[in-house]
Amino acid sequence: MRKRWIAAGVAAVAVAGGAAWYSGMFKERADSAQAGNGEGTITLARYPDRPYWGDTHLHTDNSVDAFGFGVRIGPEEALRFARGEKVTATMGMEAQLDRPLDFLVISDHSDALGATKRLMNAPSALVRDPTLKRWQGMLREGGRQSIVATGELIDAAANDRIPEALRDPERQKKATKDIWQEHLRIVDLFNEPGRFTAFAGFEWTLMPDGNNLHRVVMFRDGAPTIGDTLPYPGLDTELEGLWDYLAAYEAGSGGQALAIPHNSNLSNGLMFAMTGPDGAPMTAEQAARRARWEPVVEVTQIKGDSESHPFLSPNDEFAGYGVWGWELGNLPLTEASTPEMYGGSYVREALKRGLSLEQRLGVNPYRFGLIGSTDSHTALATADEDNFFGKHTGNEPSADRAMAGQNLGTRQGRFGWHYLASGYAAAWARGNTRAEIFDAFKRREVYATTGSRMSVRVFGGLGFTQDSFGSDWVATGYAEGVPMGGVLTDRGSAPAFMIEALKDPEGANLDRVQVVKGWVDAGGALQEKVFDVAWSERPMDAASNSPVPDVGNTVDEATASYTNTIGAAQLRTVWSDPEYSEGQRAFYYVRVIEIPTPRWVLFDALRFGVDLPDEVVKIVRERAYTSPIWLLPRDAAAPAEDT
Amino acid sequence: MTLQDRARLALREPLVHFLLGGALIFAFFAWQGEEADPASRVIEVDEEVQAQLALTFERTMQRPPIDAELDLLIERHVREEVLYREALRLGLDAGDPVVRRRLAKKMDFIAASSAQASEPGEEELAGWFAANAARYAADTTLTFDQVYFAEQPDAAAARKQLAQDWRAAGDPVSLPASVEARPLASVAAQFGQAFADRVAAMAPGNGWEGPIASGVGWHFLRLRDVDPGEIPSLDSVRERVIEDWRLETSAAREEDAYRLLREAYEVRVAR
Repeated sequence: MRKRWIAAGVAAVAVAGGAAWYSGMFKERADSAQAGNGEGTITLARYPDRPYWGDTHLHTDNSVDAFGFGVRIGPEEALRFARGEKVTATMGMEAQLDRPLDFLVISDHSDALGATKRLMNAPSALVRDPTLKRWQGMLREGGRQSIVATGELIDAAANDRIPEALRDPERQKKATKDIWQEHLRIVDLFNEPGRFTAFAGFEWTLMPDGNNLHRVVMFRDGAPTIGDTLPYPGLDTELEGLWDYLAAYEAGSGGQALAIPHNSNLSNGLMFAMTGPDGAPMTAEQAARRARWEPVVEVTQIKGDSESHPFLSPNDEFAGYGVWGWELGNLPLTEASTPEMYGGSYVREALKRGLSLEQRLGVNPYRFGLIGSTDSHTALATADEDNFFGKHTGNEPSADRAMAGQNLGTRQGRFGWHYLASGYAAAWARGNTRAEIFDAFKRREVYATTGSRMSVRVFGGLGFTQDSFGSDWVATGYAEGVPMGGVLTDRGSAPAFMIEALKDPEGANLDRVQVVKGWVDAGGALQEKVFDVAWSERPMDAASNSPVPDVGNTVDEATASYTNTIGAAQLRTVWSDPEYSEGQRAFYYVRVIEIPTPRWVLFDALRFGVDLPDEVVKIVRERAYTSPIWLLPRDAAAPAEDT
Repeated sequence: MTLQDRARLALREPLVHFLLGGALIFAFFAWQGEEADPASRVIEVDEEVQAQLALTFERTMQRPPIDAELDLLIERHVREEVLYREALRLGLDAGDPVVRRRLAKKMDFIAASSAQASEPGEEELAGWFAANAARYAADTTLTFDQVYFAEQPDAAAARKQLAQDWRAAGDPVSLPASVEARPLASVAAQFGQAFADRVAAMAPGNGWEGPIASGVGWHFLRLRDVDPGEIPSLDSVRERVIEDWRLETSAAREEDAYRLLREAYEVRVAR
């Protein structure tokens, strides 16, 4: 008898100890440098001297859909993985990046933050809503059932049929608060100025009728400044409400935040509409607020590339990348896309529309920079073709994932191979801190890649010549011109651009550098043109009349390999616009194309010994898109930027 | 329908099975006749139990219960306890997969939480720190000047350029000409891992060396300093080391706890 009491006593002490440990009594806290914005923590370079690589769009088990899709690893594993450590993926495979990232924004959905995790773990007697009860059963069942339940959940969200219990703001607020505070604690703990930057953020998931208007919100600050601010819910809110939220955050906390739209390709023309969020003609105030709060757009990610579409850019031979499957309709495929919608769905067209709106309103709502990110729902930020962990946990490496249907609730049109192992955000900064990286986003000195880590530098100016490319040309660029993301004023002569692209030090050679120009012509019509401005040496092709023949292809599909025997390590030039016309409103961005390399599907085919059908795209032209440099007419009002 | 048919039908009714089973159990205990332990017929609702009940109430309602509510809670607690003890007496806990899993989970939790909360011994911590010292070390930093060539240069011609004015030599590039005390990982991010490793292994102070291939082209390099990251003392990073030790050994310690119990059993699996 006595023995039993002793055992019970020991057990009670152990349980109490465990509970105290879980409740945070012994939990590690970040020091003040880690929990701040990083200002004054490290020595900064004189000017931005290298691109820092990151992912601003990653989901963990706190995202309602990611958890449902099966992911069981959270923010801590996500951060460890991003900074280069080995972690075990949900499906049991060991995962590690070939090279660490420099920064990460974990962007779990603000709606129902942690809800599927809570739903699965809730005592079933307390779940009364019949739909939730059914979903709980399916989540517990796991695997296929869990994925189906999540598909239904996303579908319900897209079609405004979310059960009351999940949308009750008061209930959600309390649940959200606990998860959010713990999340902020972990993020600060991993934030190490000078080594690795962990940003607080969330995804705001507005989706009217299934049309994707999602934004990632990113904070410049740590937990002490963010304080009681909770993520802003997407359900039952509107775009202007998000801007109000951001403004209130900055005014109330003294911190800073911004929003990054993504997957415009799944918005059926709504993301970059010519109208305001209310559907009426856009006002100057709306345009100014959009430009103020949304300085960059995520142009490429797993669910497709939104740079341009062949329908919009019929003369651009590289425009069709990553539109397969995604061009069919909105996110849940409840509404098909039609060509007249594409204009509001793709980024190049949006940049053009911005010029036109600016002409009318005096403000350009779409003066944004470009980044890429993954949107992985696996807690693993992977954008490498040879190390791709997929869109969600049901899509981690396996023999059949390339051909599996990937539709939320329906069986049409989208398959595993349509997913892109893409992309990353590169930020030109003077050091690796929250403030430095965030500020690079604000001034748009950032660019997107589809996963390759090539270095791309651009300076626009009115006096650059080939001689400007001296040994300290970068200093010259900053002193006499503007970097990517900047604005030039027309002085009556053609703008010139110093451009340099260096290959990914561990990757493939470069094929060519292009300048994409968009402008408003004298008649007010929107125009675009792609110029080849630098390319690697190659044999001339007598059959083709192109001055830049195809670079060739070294990909061996059987071994998923290529060689750097074609292309160049560095391409650089000073390019001046040969079609300049005084007074024209224009933008110029640089696109760098790599030589052909194997896509992730070929690495899968090799690993799992499967044959891929002909329709599967097996070769990729990895690329970078820089933020544009704008050219404004001399008489145009000074760029209205409230910074 | 004959009486016999009716009886046969009745025998298939689950309710009849249940009643028969109940009667059998009753008969068994009546025959066994073991007197219940008198202590097990006493339900103590001492102050500690009452405090616990009140606390649970408070967590849900955000206020302490009033007396009438506490009485109700006690009544509910007593009722549950009575039914629970009778259920145990009837052996209803046996063969129920939910009860079985719940108890196993509890045992697991006890093992896990003691593993989580435990403090490493000084010797164990020191040993673990020694084995994982590299991750606490400061970064190795490199300091060098470099001149870039997009194509493999002719060494002699390049050296002549370097001798005249090294800053004007080579091809213009956005890579820094002088790298000051930069961590190895940051050098690798711009020049490639193989190049960074190679430079870290070179001896400083030997003037211009090259051409050396990197991930982005060719370089002549003047290595000025390699500063290998120092390993800090255990005391200066103790908190972090304990946290990491807990995190990374907890799974192993949980497994050990289970193994200890497991050893007391012999398992026979029919094949």
